[in-house]
Amino acid sequence: MEKPPRSLPVVPDEHASAPPEPGHGRREFLANVLRLSGGALVFLAGGPAAEAGGASGKEAGEAYHWDEHSYAYLVDTSKCIGCGSCVRACAAENQVPDGFFRTWVERYVVGMERTHVDSPNGGKDGFGPIQVDFVGTKSFFVPKLCNHCRATPCIQVCPVGASYRTHDGVVLVDAERCIGCAYCVQACPYGSRFLSPLTHTAEKCTWCYHRITKGLRPACVEVCPTGTRQFGDLKRPNDPVRLAIEHDRIGVLQAHLRTEPNCYYLHLDKEVR
Amino acid sequence: MEHARHVVRVVLLVMVVLAVAFLARGFLVPRSYGMYGPYRYDNVREQMNVRRPAHAGPAACEQCHPDEATARKAGVHRNVSCEVCHGPFAAHVKEDGSVVTPTVDRSYTLCARCHRKVDGRPAGFPQVVLEEHVSGPVEGKVCLGCHNPHSPKL
Repeated sequence: MEKPPRSLPVVPDEHASAPPEPGHGRREFLANVLRLSGGALVFLAGGPAAEAGGASGKEAGEAYHWDEHSYAYLVDTSKCIGCGSCVRACAAENQVPDGFFRTWVERYVVGMERTHVDSPNGGKDGFGPIQVDFVGTKSFFVPKLCNHCRATPCIQVCPVGASYRTHDGVVLVDAERCIGCAYCVQACPYGSRFLSPLTHTAEKCTWCYHRITKGLRPACVEVCPTGTRQFGDLKRPNDPVRLAIEHDRIGVLQAHLRTEPNCYYLHLDKEVR
Repeated sequence: MEHARHVVRVVLLVMVVLAVAFLARGFLVPRSYGMYGPYRYDNVREQMNVRRPAHAGPAACEQCHPDEATARKAGVHRNVSCEVCHGPFAAHVKEDGSVVTPTVDRSYTLCARCHRKVDGRPAGFPQVVLEEHVSGPVEGKVCLGCHNPHSPKL
């Protein structure tokens, strides 16, 4: 068998023997740098934008417009039975780590002299009998969650722009930007935020943003057996929550702080903060 | 003309610095940051699609379990969602369509969460002190022995 003759690739003669091109000076170099960076700028500005347009078209909630909604939450404390279904549903829906709560239920035992508040495991397993060392004259449950304030202390203190309020009235945390400094955890007067031990970023109630933007109710509202928790849209004229805010005597938690909460409470006791 | 060359050099240098700054900004500042405020707007879309909703509501359960749904709607548990006792829909019907049978707590513990008499519950809500509710020894008695959870009124 005859082997084909092996030879090195031939370098074209004209390149090797070409005379050096003119203009290899500083000026030429700077001009080239400018041209290159200009091209890179065009690439950076145009490239990702085109890519984003394609990606968002495929995702769910494309038909959703946040300016058409203004959400509000209503809690009727006189109806709550302290079953903890909401806390369990929230944990299942949002994969909340054990021992941390995006929503929880508190029990108040109030007497003329003193008040006792308990919330065993956030009320996740329900409530048992309670003994207090004073004469309790009334007792009731109060579900708590992020108040989605309009004048939020938590967003104000965020140093990296991770916390923000959407146009439909939901306070969210961008886990990609959050650096886990926990300023917002300290700033929230309602204790609604925590640092996740898994992601080391701030987490909080989102009113189940992945549900409400699809027309569903938050998981806690979905499972509440007594109608204690209600979720509504203030931009719908006949919304039950809107009607309650318009016509009933409602309260908000820690109104003196002027955080302008979007969670409203019916039959709120003065002891509740 | 000799002096003009110095000016040109400085202007060129400034332009290079500006170009590098713009280039660095393009890399460092997220694309949608500042569209509506000092935050990344893309995160709004991300939060919308963060995961599949786990709770589907009684209407979803009704499609395969019409008998239980009818009984529930006729009884006093008509406002109690299936998922309160049975757990979230997503744990039962997986994303690929496969079905996992959820475990249901059939003990007194499940019913006690709502119906055990404890301080704090509204006076009008049906609550039970087990010792007063059943005659004889309490041990071994389960609520489901007498009550149908989908329509518990006897």
